[in-house]
Amino acid sequence: MARQPKGFRLDRIMVVAIREFRSTVFTKGFIIGAIAFPLGMFFLVALIPMLMSDHMVPITGTIVIADEDGSVATAAQAAFDRMRDEPSTLGDSARDLLTSDAAPDLDDLHVLSDVGTTVNVQVKRLSITSDLTDVRAEVQAETLLALAEIPSELLDADPSVDSVIALLVPSKTSPKTTALLSRTIRDATVIARVERTGTDLAKARALVRQPKTDAARMTREGTQASESLELRLFIPGGFMILMWIATFTSANQLCTTTIEEKSSKVIEVLLSALSPTELLAGKIVGQSFVSAIMLATYGSVGIAGLAFATMLDVVPLSAMLMFIVWFVLAYFMAAAIMVAVGSAVSDLREAQSLIGPAMSVMIIPLLVWLPISENPTGWLATVSSFIPPIGPFIMVLRTTGAMEPIPLWQIVGSLIVNGCATVVLIWLAGRVFRIGVLMQGKPPTPLELLRWARAR
Amino acid sequence: MAASEESAVQLHSVHKRFGSVDAVKDLNLSVEKGSLVGLLGPNGAGKSTAIRMIMSLIRADSGSIRVLGGDALDMKDRIGYLPEERGVYRRMRVGEFLHFMGQLKGIPRTGLKSRIEGWLERIELPGVFRSRCQELSKGMQQKVQFLAAVLHDPDLIVLDEPFSGLDPVNARVLISTVKELHQEGRTIFLSTHQMAQAQQLCERVVLINRGEKILDDTTSNVIERYSSSAIIVEPINREDASYASLASIAGVASTQLHEDGRTITLTVADSADARSIMSAALATLPCRRIELARASLDEVFIRLVTEHGGHARRSLQGVA
Repeated sequence: MARQPKGFRLDRIMVVAIREFRSTVFTKGFIIGAIAFPLGMFFLVALIPMLMSDHMVPITGTIVIADEDGSVATAAQAAFDRMRDEPSTLGDSARDLLTSDAAPDLDDLHVLSDVGTTVNVQVKRLSITSDLTDVRAEVQAETLLALAEIPSELLDADPSVDSVIALLVPSKTSPKTTALLSRTIRDATVIARVERTGTDLAKARALVRQPKTDAARMTREGTQASESLELRLFIPGGFMILMWIATFTSANQLCTTTIEEKSSKVIEVLLSALSPTELLAGKIVGQSFVSAIMLATYGSVGIAGLAFATMLDVVPLSAMLMFIVWFVLAYFMAAAIMVAVGSAVSDLREAQSLIGPAMSVMIIPLLVWLPISENPTGWLATVSSFIPPIGPFIMVLRTTGAMEPIPLWQIVGSLIVNGCATVVLIWLAGRVFRIGVLMQGKPPTPLELLRWARAR
Repeated sequence: MAASEESAVQLHSVHKRFGSVDAVKDLNLSVEKGSLVGLLGPNGAGKSTAIRMIMSLIRADSGSIRVLGGDALDMKDRIGYLPEERGVYRRMRVGEFLHFMGQLKGIPRTGLKSRIEGWLERIELPGVFRSRCQELSKGMQQKVQFLAAVLHDPDLIVLDEPFSGLDPVNARVLISTVKELHQEGRTIFLSTHQMAQAQQLCERVVLINRGEKILDDTTSNVIERYSSSAIIVEPINREDASYASLASIAGVASTQLHEDGRTITLTVADSADARSIMSAALATLPCRRIELARASLDEVFIRLVTEHGGHARRSLQGVA
C-alpha cells in the first residue's frame, strides 16, 4: 500500500485538480454533450416560437357557410371580424384555454398556436337547402377557404348529438387553418343556437363560466399555505434531477479517469511525486469544478426557464442556497464511492460489477420523487432524508417542494448525518484508493475491500 | 558499508511478503551518496518490490528504510523515479505532461518550459513538445518518462529497468545521460537484468535472487573475484589424454572443452589457488596459451543465480 506524507501540499493538489478539470472540460464530448446541447436546446425552445411567428401564413379568403337562416354565418363573420380587428383575441382565447378546467381538444391546441396569425376572412351566406355543387367545385379549385354545412338540428334548443358540421377545405389547407375555421364555426353555431332561444348570450356565458379554484392547505400551525401542482411536483423533481446529473456525470468521470490512469500505468509516476491522498483530493476537487460548471449551466437554463414562465418566485432563495449545500454533500459522497471503485478495478467492465450495487442505491431518489413530492413531510421523506448517500437528494426534493417549512431539526439532523457520512465515505475511499491504485489483476471482493479499508 | 549519514538509501533487515511468497527477505542495503549502484536479479527476484518499498509506494512488513536521511514520502521532490511500468497520459501533449510533472515536483513555472525544451534536446527528442504522447513510439515515450524523472534535478534517481525495451541507439542515449547525471554528483540506483549495461555503468552491483541478497560489491571486485575462478588452456597437442590430465590437477573443480575443440576451461575450486593450478598445468603438458579467464558480469550472474537455486519462482501477482 502507498503511504502518506506528514502533511498535505495544497499546491500539488491544485495542480492535479486543474489537470483533472482541463482533461474533462476541454474535450469535444464534454463541450458538446454537457454544455452546447442543453444550451442549444434552451435557445431552440425559446427561439422557435419567435421564428414561427415570423413565418405564420395569414388566413385570408372567403368561407361559405350554409345554414338554415344565416344566423351562424352572421355570428361567424362577427368572430372573424373581431380576429381581424383585434388580433389579441386569439391570444385571449389561448390564455382562456390555459386557465380552463376542461381538457383542451385538438382544435383548441391548434388555436394556441394561432397566436400572432393574421386573420382576414369573409363569410358568404347560403341556405342549407341550396345546391352546393358549384361551391364544392370552388373549394376544390382553392378559390374558397372552405364550405361549412350546418344541419338545422344543430340549431335546435335540444340539438341532436348525432349531427355534425360538415367542413370542406381545399386539400393543401394547413391543419392550423382548418382548426381555426372549425373552432370559429362551432362557436358561431352555439351563439346562433343560444340567440334563437332568446337568451342573453352574455348572461348565458357568465352563468356557465367555471369558477377558478384557489386551493390552500391548512398547516399544523393553523396557517394557510398555498397549493401549486407545479411547485410541488415538477420544480422539486427538476432540482433533484439537475443535482443528480451534475453529481453523477462528474463522479462517473472520476471513476473513468482513475481506471485510465491505472491502465495506462501513469499512476505510479504520479505517486512518485505526491501521496495517494493528495492525488485523490486533487482528482475529487478537479471534478467538483466540472460538476459545478454543469450545475451552473443546467441551473441557469432552469432558472431562465422559470423566469420565462414568470415562476421565479416559487423557489425561495433560501431553498436555492440550501440546494448548494446538499449538492456539495451529494457530490462528495458520490465522488468517494466512484473513485474507490475506479481505484479497485483494472477496466470499465470490471467497474460495472461494483458500480451496479452502488447505482441501485443512488437511483432511489428518482424512484421516490413522486411520493415524496406528494408528501414532503411524510414518514418516507423524513426517514430517507437521514439515509446516506440519498439523503441530500431527498432533502432537495423536500426543501424545494414543501408548502410548509421542513422542521428545523430534520434539516440540521440530515446535514449532520449526511455530513458525517461524507467524511466517513471520503476516508474509506482514501483507504481503498491508496491500495487499489497499485493493484492489478482480478477485482477485489467486498471482503477484500473491507480489509483494505482496515489496513494500516 | 558506509555510515548512515553518507547513505542516500539505507535498508535494514527489510522483509516483504505477498500471500505465501516472500518477495524480499531480510534485505540490508546501503547506497552511498553520489554513487551509481545497480540492483541486479532475474525476473521475479524482488527488485521492483524493493524499489517500491524504497519509494514508499508499498510498506515493508518489517525492517527500516531511510532515503536521503528520512522517509521517501517527505523527500519526493529530491527523488526522481522511473517505474518499471511505463505510463503517460496518452492524449496529453508531451510538453504539457512534462509541465504537469514538473509542477508536481515543485519546479517553479517560470523557466519550466525552457528547461523542458532543453532536456528534450539533450535526450534527442527535439520537436516533440507539442506532440501528443500517444503519437510517440514506445521508446520515445520511455525517454519522455525518464525526463519526467530527472527534470527537477533530483539528488537521488531511482530507475527501475530503465533500458528495457529500448533499441540500441536510444539505450545509448539514456546510458550516456545517466553517466552525465552521475558525473554531476547525483546518486543513481537502478535495477536491471541486462548485465552488459550494468557492467558498463555501475560502480557497485547488488544481486538479489528469490528476495535474498547474494552479492554486494564493487563491479571491479566482482569481475576480479570471479575472473580468478577459471583458467583457459590451449594445449599444443589436441589429445584426449591432455584433457584428462588437466582434470586431475589438484584444485580443478571441473573442465570444459570449448566448441573449437582446442581450448579447455578449468574451473578453479573455491579454496584452490589459480596460480598454482596454472603452474601445474604448464608442467603437465606443453601449452600454446594459458590465461586467467576474465569473467563477465553476465557469467557471474548466471553462475550465482544457478548456484542459488535458479530463478524459477513465479512472478508476483497482485501488486503492480
